[in-house]
Amino acid sequence: MAKNRPIKFRILELFLDEKEHWNYEIVSKVQEEYGMKGDYNRDSINFDIIELASGGMLKDVEQKVDEEGIYKNNFLLHKYRITDFGKVRGSDACLRYV
Amino acid sequence: MDRPEQKKAYGFGVNPGFKPGFLLLSLFFKIRRPYARLSITPDSVPDRPGKKPCLYGPGALSRGNTEKGDLYKGGVGVDLQALKRQESKRKISKGYMWALFCAVFWGIWYLPGTVVWVLNPFDEMYGVIAGTEGDAASLVVTAVLITAFNALTVMLALMLWNGVLGKYGELVRTLKEFHPCSKWFFLASVFGGPMAILGSFMAMGFIGGAFAAVAALLYPVIGSVLAYYWYGEKISKRAAMGIIVIIIGGITIFGGGLVTELAAGDVPWIGYLGGLMAAAGWGIEGAIAGKGLDISEPDVGLTLRFLGENIIWWIIIVPLLAIVGYPMYSFALQAFEPLTLLVLIFAGITFGFCYVCWYKSFPLIGVGRGQGIGNLYGLCAIIFIFLFFGDVPEWTILLGGALCVAGSFIMFTEETSELETLRGE
Repeated sequence: MAKNRPIKFRILELFLDEKEHWNYEIVSKVQEEYGMKGDYNRDSINFDIIELASGGMLKDVEQKVDEEGIYKNNFLLHKYRITDFGKVRGSDACLRYV
Repeated sequence: MDRPEQKKAYGFGVNPGFKPGFLLLSLFFKIRRPYARLSITPDSVPDRPGKKPCLYGPGALSRGNTEKGDLYKGGVGVDLQALKRQESKRKISKGYMWALFCAVFWGIWYLPGTVVWVLNPFDEMYGVIAGTEGDAASLVVTAVLITAFNALTVMLALMLWNGVLGKYGELVRTLKEFHPCSKWFFLASVFGGPMAILGSFMAMGFIGGAFAAVAALLYPVIGSVLAYYWYGEKISKRAAMGIIVIIIGGITIFGGGLVTELAAGDVPWIGYLGGLMAAAGWGIEGAIAGKGLDISEPDVGLTLRFLGENIIWWIIIVPLLAIVGYPMYSFALQAFEPLTLLVLIFAGITFGFCYVCWYKSFPLIGVGRGQGIGNLYGLCAIIFIFLFFGDVPEWTILLGGALCVAGSFIMFTEETSELETLRGE
């Protein structure tokens, strides 16, 4: 699936490999795929991830401070993995389940 | 690090970025300056032999913090758990802030929503239809046209909003996903539009405004119960208590009028049906929208919800009423005069942003809390009507208002760890 589906769908799909991913990895991948440049789009995609976690579809498993400016200097970075509920919602959204 | 820098880390020190307005907001919403903007980093803290200072959060620089999860770097411990809690608090504060803005915009909306009834062509339309069909039918048919125009101006405001946010691409992508996603928003429009708004007007017309308002105040109960049983949204006892106190406050606000209206006797059952439709309609809308918002962006989802409502009014109901014989189009065309348009646009902007705030609060604090705080619209409406129309509130209104504020604070002060995720894994 490429950039022809809503961003939250794509984020869920990226997590459907059941591996843990840092938010900055997902954000940069989505930015690249959707051609969304700039800090505003970066933060907007990150907020989508936060909403998915808030909705119980992703679980926050690890955090670290961004000291190297990978995402944003001194920002708290999060590593997430998909939950069982996230897999169900992902399947509802006709996403490929790996 | 010298003492002033430490103060800054706690958020107490005055720094160049200090803004009085932010301070006021922070007192209310417990917002802290983002740690990301603090001027200290792990490397800026001097070594303290034998101590492990943590830099952020309530336990910042406290001695001997050995909480699991601390990150060591060069002998310095960063309390990640405190950072995470702080971030979580900010997220929840933002959710409550959106819900409160929803209540404020909803309260303001009552100004154009009231004024538009006495403007032509709606005033004239009401008179003409009442002459032949009676007051009740006239009220409902006129309400349909007003609500249709309201939906249209809301849609225009939302299209502008999405343009500014650069979300047209996401709007099209989400619209195309009818089966998994956008169907929820179209379904929400059925319950929020014709069911809730028409029901509200029916309650207003057949019983009275106070009854309609009280009936609508019950919608968070339906919304939160549905969200709990349907998709397992957590609702804590504290949040439930806050919602109940706000509802009691709302009933107290409108209680005097309610007693008068019910004491007038011969209350038609259709008025009660309207009240039930309003409470059930908005409650169900919130729960359904919550389902769609799981996998879509709130700004986009809301625009689709109003696209659905416009289709319902302008493609189904208005033409149907015209076919039945009501002069819908002739009066609709007369609405294009400056004052009426201005009031309709004002209504569209306030109602549109009320909904933007409502939908944005759901993914952050849940449907129950978002709707509970949104219920403060009753208090906001009284305040704005007092400010602009000069209607002096009675003591019951002040008491009810105090209860509403108390209920809100019960919810604001909820332990934020409860809200890290809105559902169980």
